[in-house]
Amino acid sequence: MLRCEGATLDYGSYRALSGVTMHVDKGELVVMLGANGAGKSSLFLAISGLRKLKAGSIRLGDHELAGRKPSQIVADGLVHCPEGRKLFPGMSVHKNLMLGAYVHRRDPEGSKAILERVFEMFPILREKQHQNAGSLSGGQQQMVAIGRALMGRPKVLLLDEPSLGLAPLVVKQVLAAVKAINEAGTTVLLAEQNAYAALKIAHRAYVIENGRIVMEGDPDALLGDERIRKAYIGA
Amino acid sequence: MNLSLFVQQILNGLTLGSVYALVALGLTLVYGILHIPNFSHGALFMAGAYTAFFFIGSLGANYWVALIGAAAVTAAIAVLSERLVFSRLRDSPPLHDMIAAIGLLLFIEAVAHAIWGADFRRMAPPFPGIMRIAGTVLPIQRALIIGGAIGLMIALHLFLKRTTTGATIVAMAQNREGASLVGIDLTRVSIITFAISGALAAVAAVLFAPINLISPSMGNLVILKAFVIIILGGMGSVPGAILGGMIIGFAESFGAFYISTDLKDIIAFALLVAILSLRPQGLFPAPSR
Repeated sequence: MLRCEGATLDYGSYRALSGVTMHVDKGELVVMLGANGAGKSSLFLAISGLRKLKAGSIRLGDHELAGRKPSQIVADGLVHCPEGRKLFPGMSVHKNLMLGAYVHRRDPEGSKAILERVFEMFPILREKQHQNAGSLSGGQQQMVAIGRALMGRPKVLLLDEPSLGLAPLVVKQVLAAVKAINEAGTTVLLAEQNAYAALKIAHRAYVIENGRIVMEGDPDALLGDERIRKAYIGA
Repeated sequence: MNLSLFVQQILNGLTLGSVYALVALGLTLVYGILHIPNFSHGALFMAGAYTAFFFIGSLGANYWVALIGAAAVTAAIAVLSERLVFSRLRDSPPLHDMIAAIGLLLFIEAVAHAIWGADFRRMAPPFPGIMRIAGTVLPIQRALIIGGAIGLMIALHLFLKRTTTGATIVAMAQNREGASLVGIDLTRVSIITFAISGALAAVAAVLFAPINLISPSMGNLVILKAFVIIILGGMGSVPGAILGGMIIGFAESFGAFYISTDLKDIIAFALLVAILSLRPQGLFPAPSR
């Protein structure tokens, strides 16, 4: 479904990604583990077209994404829910969500149906739909961010650190939502620092270090790996 | 204190404030999207006045046709400046945008200079009549400025709040990366924003021209004041630009009358210093990004 081959990205003289090759199959929930600055966000930004690759290719189905504009990539069915949420703080929750459906603006009926599903998944958002997104708590803002991404009708959803800075109970809720989204048929690539919780819901995982994929495997194998436990789980 | 003279100053303040607010609105919209101070915005104001002057003087158009024509031509110049200059500097340091904007300002001024010369020109007032309101005299042209500006502000407000295209502009201003990730195209939003800013500057200039003079450097003082206004109002804030415009307009009109006409232009800058020392973030700081 999503396939990166030798993806290389530079920030000036700094190489953020060097030859990343990875893939996510249709219907999978894949976790990308890595420390701060390992290249998770750079990979996501490259996939969604916000950073231009220096070399390599990124394909969605049999469609090349490298070189396409972010707006076209969203329309192709790949939506990126970014680290730090990047909401529109001065707009209502409802408007944030509706802008998530911007590329489907010619189909308002379809978007209304998805909005209803988002409200079912996160009932608190229905209650707060007329408040400014900036006035919500961190967990609620994360729900808006995930909801906004779903409004784009993703075939593949990239979620970058959705649990960052949230209270443990909220982390659980957010990751449960991610699992439910995947089970409903959306392919998910999830970047998480919270390795243990992420591996619990994943089908497969990659480990990225210094812009390179250093390990790939099924979650149980990674959970059992001594180095992974030391580096990412702390036990 | 003479009441009718006082009311007269209120009307003068409203007139000036309306013109300043229209110019500042375009400036603040562009700043909100690109985060660059567009110094060439004053040249757009000037270009709008000359375009209307040309439509009326050389093509014999009536005032309204000239107004719409000037808005369209100036919007096109603004879009061209975005396409040819600013969009190419998107990934360079902000200083490059600023220098490019100053270059554009000088370029557009030089073009006007080459075509029309340095002489002051006068646009014949299309509506020389006056109205009397509660014992106060209000020239129709000034009523037109106030009414036109208020109408445009309401239209702009509705456009930004109620339409999807308007929402994309606000979204881009509030979080550029977030806007790109939902599929909003930065190029499209930039073009629309520049077109609106050019059209607003032109309308302000054409409304103002019959009670003022036209010259290649007519935009310079206006743009400086527009910067004062958006700094006062909060960079990127639409209500701030309107309120800031009115504050400067009123301060000038009352200052000129009750203090001294010679100090009129100093008052705006004195107010800037005074307000910013009390409220460094401006009156309506933009929401945190």
